Amino acid sequence: MSNWKLINTTFIYDGTFDGFLTIVFDVYSNKTLPKQICSKDLYIPNFLDKTLYINTNYEKSKRVFVGIEKNICYEALYNSYNAFLSNEKDKDINILKYLCEGFELGPKINNMLTNSYVYKVISMRKRVLFECHRLKGLLRFVEVQDNLFYASIHPDNNIIEPLGHHFINRLPNQYFIIHDKYRNLCFLYNGQTYEIIDSTNMNIPQFTESEKLYQNLWKAFFKTIAIKERKNPKCQMQYMPKKYWKDLIEMKY
Amino acid sequence: MEILDKLTILADSAKYDASCSSSGSKRKNNTTGIGNGNFAGICHSWGADGRCISLLKILFSNSCIYDCKYCINRSSNSIKRATFTPQEVADLTINFYKRNYIEGLFLSSAVIRSPNYTMEMLIKTVLILRNEYNFNGYIHCKTIPGSDQSLIDKLGKLVDRMSINIELPSNNSLKLLAPQKEKANILQPMSYVSNNIKLNKLDKNKFKPNFVPAGQTTQLIIGATPESDLKILKLSEGLYNKLNLKRVYYSAYISVNNDKNLPMLSSPPLLRENRLYQADWLIRFYGFKANELLDETHPNFNNILDPKCEWALRNIENFPIEINTADYFTLLRVPGIGVISAKKIIRARRTFLLDFQELKKLGIVMKRAKYFITCKGKYYDKVYKFNQSFIETNLIYQERLSIPNKNFEQLSLFDNLSPTKEDTIKCLTGSL
Repeated sequence: MSNWKLINTTFIYDGTFDGFLTIVFDVYSNKTLPKQICSKDLYIPNFLDKTLYINTNYEKSKRVFVGIEKNICYEALYNSYNAFLSNEKDKDINILKYLCEGFELGPKINNMLTNSYVYKVISMRKRVLFECHRLKGLLRFVEVQDNLFYASIHPDNNIIEPLGHHFINRLPNQYFIIHDKYRNLCFLYNGQTYEIIDSTNMNIPQFTESEKLYQNLWKAFFKTIAIKERKNPKCQMQYMPKKYWKDLIEMKY
Repeated sequence: MEILDKLTILADSAKYDASCSSSGSKRKNNTTGIGNGNFAGICHSWGADGRCISLLKILFSNSCIYDCKYCINRSSNSIKRATFTPQEVADLTINFYKRNYIEGLFLSSAVIRSPNYTMEMLIKTVLILRNEYNFNGYIHCKTIPGSDQSLIDKLGKLVDRMSINIELPSNNSLKLLAPQKEKANILQPMSYVSNNIKLNKLDKNKFKPNFVPAGQTTQLIIGATPESDLKILKLSEGLYNKLNLKRVYYSAYISVNNDKNLPMLSSPPLLRENRLYQADWLIRFYGFKANELLDETHPNFNNILDPKCEWALRNIENFPIEINTADYFTLLRVPGIGVISAKKIIRARRTFLLDFQELKKLGIVMKRAKYFITCKGKYYDKVYKFNQSFIETNLIYQERLSIPNKNFEQLSLFDNLSPTKEDTIKCLTGSL
């Protein structure tokens, strides 16, 4: 990858993983590295930038998707998909370099932790999955109708899909909505299939009668289970940062 | 009694149990069921004391027939008593679980009427959860000492984890503080369960019911009795090796009862508890032995340095260690390098020789490690000497910065000039 041509262009794409893999395909076949890659929602037009919009091509993206697992390894696919969910600005260019280098070196790429973009991709993957794991615990469902549950979240990374799958496995017979309020995305599940939709104009429903009872029970339990003599608010805050408190029934302020 | 009052009373009685992990079980969900196990465990909230809440931790009942002196539920204490019905516990668990408040149930109980009766009530509760609600989430149950083996068998097939708390780390202490309990009574069901787990693992039948898949745990109280750290650590090492326990929890003693045999502590010995947990991890994941960490001449841990640092300073002849050639278990012995860092180093050095700069890039904390390692044969730049007293002084200096010292005070010019009684009287009468 060291002798590839660098071009001073910003690639714009539609923000999906398929769109990103299309860019990987084009870059790898032309052996030219762009200066920057940006999703079209986040891109701020700039007088100096040369831009090129890349249309998503599902055939190309599928070839890359299969190719990553075949020519690099499963771990590379796992790393790049999860790092892609990160909210960091330079995630795309780092994952691109990681994959292009990976196609040349094979599975050995994952050992090259001292390489800055490899380390970046792996640490992004770690951060995304850590937040996902954290929200598996910190998400709170509210019953809005008989057997229909609603939860709002404010995550840093776009983790709604892996999070939704966790709850489908766990509560397969429960209808639920997970609402990402930062990105205005909703994960809907109706007992059989799921869908992720845009939710800019969604009305947040009211909760049921019995819901109040269980919320009070939970608050009472939460309060009693702490040992007064061992009070340690700093430790509590470390594990349960304040940014998540607005969605927590027991900590709501 | 309202369910809210019962929950408050019985959660309050259960809170002194340290165990709250939900890991170790891969129990799968089925199409009609609710819940599944998560092998790594999931914490759902953290209480005001900073301890995680992952299970609905309650007692089935707190009206106990025993009178153990350290326990808040002892029969001679005048506290509010309550008992759940199995249906109430099951409903509470399911409704909390549906709202993702908890990962499962941790059901313990005081001994009501007799050990067998208590055990039967626990089994009844778990049966409702597993059979009626088709609940496949995590359940941790206490084994009641003195109950029949057939009951233990029955419960073991339903739950994910079982535990019996030893509480007091020696026979003498047990006699002193819990005269109605016997050591054999506690250890015998423990070894019975651990044998059954072993047999269950050997059974190659694919469709066998799992027996306690997440293993057994226990708890020791720290600071209620005079045992040294060495004695406690030896006991837990034995429990890990002989009985295959998953975890031994240490719980700093909190004065809840007044008794002439109990110490009066103003605050629980949290630092000692922390040191024991650190040593416990060293035994389980780092390949240390209790004898290496402590011996007769040093039976207790240091207040300032952690057990691994202390060990490294006492065995300074093993250091410095070359990062690029040392094997995994040698790397693990370096203070500041843990399991994750050691694995990262081993992975990264396959492609590059590592220097201090690369180690920092990998995210390895150099605060303690820099004194004990070399990279490509070179010692860390800013540290110019490798000798024990130099390292010890530096380590202690670093640690003191991070431990807030509550003993110092702002000096004042008028410290010695507190008004005497006569001055006060003069002030009051207006003559001063």
